Amino acid sequence: MARPQTSQQPQTHLTQAPVAFGNWALPKLCSELQDDELVSRQRALTALCDLIHDPERAYEAILNGCMERLKFLLKDDDGLCRVKTTEALYILASHSLGRDAIFRNDIMGPLADLLDDPVDACRRNVHQALNRMAEYPSGAVFMVSMGLVPRLVLKVPIEAEIIRALILSTLSSCIMINAQPALESDAIPVLRGQLSHQFSDIRRSATSALVGISVPSNGKVKVCEEDLLPLMVKLLSDNDQGVVANAAGTVMNTAVITRGKHEALKAGAIDPLLRLVASDNRAVCANALRALTVLAEVPSARAQLLGHVSLLKTRLQHPDSTIQRAASSAIEVISWKP
Amino acid sequence: MASTLQPQHDTQGGVYTFSSRPRPVPNRAKYRNTAEPLNEEEGSHGNIMYDRRVVRGNTYAQHILPVTSQPDPMEFLRQQEARRRAMSKKRLKEQFGPKTPEPLEGRTNIDVQTEMYLEELSDRIEEVSVECQTDMFLDKPATPLFIPDKTGRDAATQIEEGELFDFDVEVQPVLQVLVGKTIEQALLEVMEEEELDNLRARYQAFMEIRNAELVEVQRLEERERRLHVERENRIKQQKAVLEKEKETADKIAARAFAQQYLTDLLPSVYSNLKESGYFYDSVKRGKLTGM
Repeated sequence: MARPQTSQQPQTHLTQAPVAFGNWALPKLCSELQDDELVSRQRALTALCDLIHDPERAYEAILNGCMERLKFLLKDDDGLCRVKTTEALYILASHSLGRDAIFRNDIMGPLADLLDDPVDACRRNVHQALNRMAEYPSGAVFMVSMGLVPRLVLKVPIEAEIIRALILSTLSSCIMINAQPALESDAIPVLRGQLSHQFSDIRRSATSALVGISVPSNGKVKVCEEDLLPLMVKLLSDNDQGVVANAAGTVMNTAVITRGKHEALKAGAIDPLLRLVASDNRAVCANALRALTVLAEVPSARAQLLGHVSLLKTRLQHPDSTIQRAASSAIEVISWKP
Repeated sequence: MASTLQPQHDTQGGVYTFSSRPRPVPNRAKYRNTAEPLNEEEGSHGNIMYDRRVVRGNTYAQHILPVTSQPDPMEFLRQQEARRRAMSKKRLKEQFGPKTPEPLEGRTNIDVQTEMYLEELSDRIEEVSVECQTDMFLDKPATPLFIPDKTGRDAATQIEEGELFDFDVEVQPVLQVLVGKTIEQALLEVMEEEELDNLRARYQAFMEIRNAELVEVQRLEERERRLHVERENRIKQQKAVLEKEKETADKIAARAFAQQYLTDLLPSVYSNLKESGYFYDSVKRGKLTGM
């Protein structure tokens, strides 16, 4: 029975606060966020989480000063409040204005404090928020300077699968900015433990973190020390293309130093890499070509690869310029005579 | 009976007037010997309901005594009229009505029934005695519930299924709101995710290129470093060889010089010593000193 009064119409939003129309929606929600009653806070948070997906609403919310309220609510006693607050922050982190606001209001500190929260969903949202923040260079720089990397490395073995994948991708983003904190906090053994996990997401993030770690020279040395190259060669035949590309990337990075070259050759990297050159995936192909380039500086490898120059020459006609360049430099190095 | 108010008799110019204040009709004493009650209020008037002088009942057919003793001339005339009319009617009836002839002498008329069926006429009324006996006393049955008779007109109405509440019609606005809101929210989220996916894809592409270029740079760096180190090594090696050679040459020269220096040394030493007299024959010396 349709009634003209809105208060008597059937309620479709019992778990959410009723959202006012137009411009009044967000100011009202923001004021409801600091209500004394727990139920109205939860309902307001749920409604806010739904609205914030729209960039314009997110902008309005930030203008109405909801960031301080969210920062205050991060320390709330109720678990659901914290879950929803972290979810709102994670959605805000996908908008650039949200990221700015998070930096300006120093929300990263309290957010990182919630890494040890007892509620699972809250931790998952925290990690998702950190992951989104780390995907952007300024965020990753800030997180590294905040000293978050050692804490994240400690968290990797103990958390559940979904959260582990998130932590690993956050770590790989941070490592790409600066790998030293991760190296100092013994990330390599931790990462090595994740390489054989059944979830391809975890393997992919772990291998991409390893790619980042093997960029600086002491990282390369450490990778050789920890005997990771045989594992990498094994992962070259993985099902997931992301994992394969990252494994090839790690090999190519590590093989720049002489010791790495020898270890890679000892692990028999050349044959899988040759197979990967013909792959369609651009990342896989480029990384394989460059790995072969690096390995070809060793005379024995060069001799072995001279027979496969024709295969590399086919890659010269690839439409992508990176692959063309990689193929040409590979051929050049292989055919170099002292 | 003393009344509260004395009637007033007034005679003025031969006209008699009488007036008294209104008072209740005094009651007749029931018994002759009863002394009058002192309380005049109660006894002086009685209940008019029990007063024999009050006219009771219908007053329509009462013989009202005429006000005057003389008969009303109009009334008298009317009565005469009525008498005359009755007489005339009676005479008419006698003249024209059928009459039975007078009986002969010694005979009397007797009434005879002339209908088809004879009827016995008698004074004695036929009676039939009928007996009736009630049944043995039964228990009084329960009194039926008193249901007063229905008054007024009955009207009936019946509500068919679907007339008051039709689910399909009512649910539409609710469904619209629910579905609309859900779809709106879903659209928002899907658009956001798509945007993020696009961003991520571009980021991935960039990272691939960056990594590849980075490793190329590192490889070239490493090669340069190796070559440099190699070069340094060679140069050092060469220098060492040269150094060694020089040392060897110096050693040889020194040795040759020393040899040459030393060949002359021994005979000159001996000759000097001989000249200084350090080499002597001990027998000769002994002989010289002993002498």
